[in-house]
Amino acid sequence: MSIACDTCVVRNRAICSVLDTDELVALNRIGRTRTISAGQTLMWEGEDSALVANVLDGVLKLSTGTEDGREQIVGIVYPADFIGRPFGARAQQTVTALTEARVCVFARGDFDAFAREHPALEHKLLQRTLTELDRARHWMLLLGRKSAMEKMASFLLEMSERLVQNGCTPDAGPLDRFTLPFGRQQIADILGLTIETVSRLLTKLKNDGVIDLPSRREVAILQRDILHHRAG
Amino acid sequence: MGMWPYFPELLAVPVPRYTSYPTAAEFQDGFGDADGVAALAKVQSPASLYIHIPYCEKICWYCGCNTGAAGRTSRLNAYLTALDAELELVAARLGAGGAPRDLSRISFGGGSPNAITPLAFVRLLDRIVTAFGSILPHISVELDPRGFTSHWAGMLGSIGVAQVSFGVQTLADHVQQRIGRVQPRATIEQGVEMLRAAAIPSINFDLMYGLPGQTTGDLIETLDAASQMRPERIALFGYAHVPDMFARQRRIDASDLPDAALRFEMAAMGSAFLLAAGYIEVGFDHFALPHDPLAKAAQSGQLRRNFQGFTDDSADVLIGVGASAISVFPDILLQNEKNAGRYRMRVTGGQLASTRGVRRDADDAIRAKIIEDILCLRPTDLSRLDGWQAAVDGLTAFVERAVARLDGAMLSPTRDSAPYARSMAVLFDRHRRASARQFSQAV
Repeated sequence: MSIACDTCVVRNRAICSVLDTDELVALNRIGRTRTISAGQTLMWEGEDSALVANVLDGVLKLSTGTEDGREQIVGIVYPADFIGRPFGARAQQTVTALTEARVCVFARGDFDAFAREHPALEHKLLQRTLTELDRARHWMLLLGRKSAMEKMASFLLEMSERLVQNGCTPDAGPLDRFTLPFGRQQIADILGLTIETVSRLLTKLKNDGVIDLPSRREVAILQRDILHHRAG
Repeated sequence: MGMWPYFPELLAVPVPRYTSYPTAAEFQDGFGDADGVAALAKVQSPASLYIHIPYCEKICWYCGCNTGAAGRTSRLNAYLTALDAELELVAARLGAGGAPRDLSRISFGGGSPNAITPLAFVRLLDRIVTAFGSILPHISVELDPRGFTSHWAGMLGSIGVAQVSFGVQTLADHVQQRIGRVQPRATIEQGVEMLRAAAIPSINFDLMYGLPGQTTGDLIETLDAASQMRPERIALFGYAHVPDMFARQRRIDASDLPDAALRFEMAAMGSAFLLAAGYIEVGFDHFALPHDPLAKAAQSGQLRRNFQGFTDDSADVLIGVGASAISVFPDILLQNEKNAGRYRMRVTGGQLASTRGVRRDADDAIRAKIIEDILCLRPTDLSRLDGWQAAVDGLTAFVERAVARLDGAMLSPTRDSAPYARSMAVLFDRHRRASARQFSQAV
């Protein structure tokens, strides 16, 4: 049994939670744990196959490059998420850390083959892939929102739901208070807004009593129903 | 409800099914990547996407689709990788590489989309979301009831699939044996139960008449059993026996096939049965329950015809992805490379897969509209077409027999039009008169 799984902070929520100790040891042989710093792109040296990963800690973005050189962000992943959308050398998507992050990385072919031999994991893999699809659709809906305020409000709601800390109660509900894992410029980049607009919208939500901003990185949601309303 | 009157003289000439105009028979070689790039660049409104999965667990003898046996997993995986590549290429070129825009509809056909695993299917949808920025507003999937599992049904329900189609064909055991597609009634019933449990709102059955050894009694029994399962839609196709085009049909004993008169009787009885069972006529060979969107489209004049048959999809552009898939643009029809190996080579090499096609000019567009109106069984204004009077001679035989009405330049259907619609449509097909190509009988 590897030390990594023994002490894994997302152990009870990750896709591999259905595996027993021996199976985890076997899974560990085909995966690697990587720590990457903010801004770094997740790669696996010497490996040209598509990759998948478990997020242990940190927040990362999935993005694709468009033909004219622009970056299209197609999702944000949080601790305990499984990144089943393939990335790496032979895939169109890249995964970049927005904060310092730790992940377990696998070659997708290896992971799929392992799942085929472990029906409980295979079932979980399908469920996780469905969840990812659902989140991807929500993400596109968020980006497709018409007004900047709708995008901002949707994004705050999404974060309050996705930043729920791991622990013994996985279904604790959304957070009313959380620390933004990234700065205003990064939020602007993700939402396709300017940093001035992001700051203005946060200030407006604060002045309207919908949220509070106790510090530069902290957000408190005071009136969730109004925030939902502003999300469109 | 009376039965359609039989006028064999109006049905003497084999005619196309007009899933497009010009039909695929008019496609020429000499089209390529540049034609696809140019057509995609001009798309401005949301397009629909069709994904072709040309594999089946088993190959049925009657089938005229471009399919192969699913066989080894590696072959399917290679094909799925190619689909991913083509989706990227298409999305990047759609609307000249502007911001990704949502799709109108996404349809999966084949073959049998359920020849791939539920996981592979969900991943494919994820690629579409990512590549096109689509929220997947409306998804439809063709399914083979054999090998349809609760995993598949549950997955379709989770995704919120709007419409599925079951290839039923016939429930008569001896006919199933003759066409190489054995699927007991219980298989269909269980499949429908699984789909209902997954809250899929609209189920279609594809059924066939004119099959080898099939009697009118067999057909009515099938329709009776099928309509008791209450699928929202039923498509009742005439089996087209063209073994020169589809080698697999040579396994079917042609001496066993119903003749033209019996085929007509089957089509007529089938239609009368389904109307009596509460279904509404949708185009010349589809039926739908009144609450289904397809029935509503037929009644409001919004019905469309495309490669999937009749549809309530209003998009003017249909992008076909996959080997042999056909794309429809206002001014051009394009077909992808049919051979799966060459298709993979093309798209993984960064080239769109179109190899064949036909351009449509303004005259074609008017003819296409008139033909679509006729097949959708709604009135159509012929005066839009230069020289429309030339078709009047041909229409007279239909008008005299009360299977159509002509008031000035307005051609309207009567309640007996359906079996004659394709034979009227051919009068507006400028490609057809000179061609000796083999088509199926109109009924």
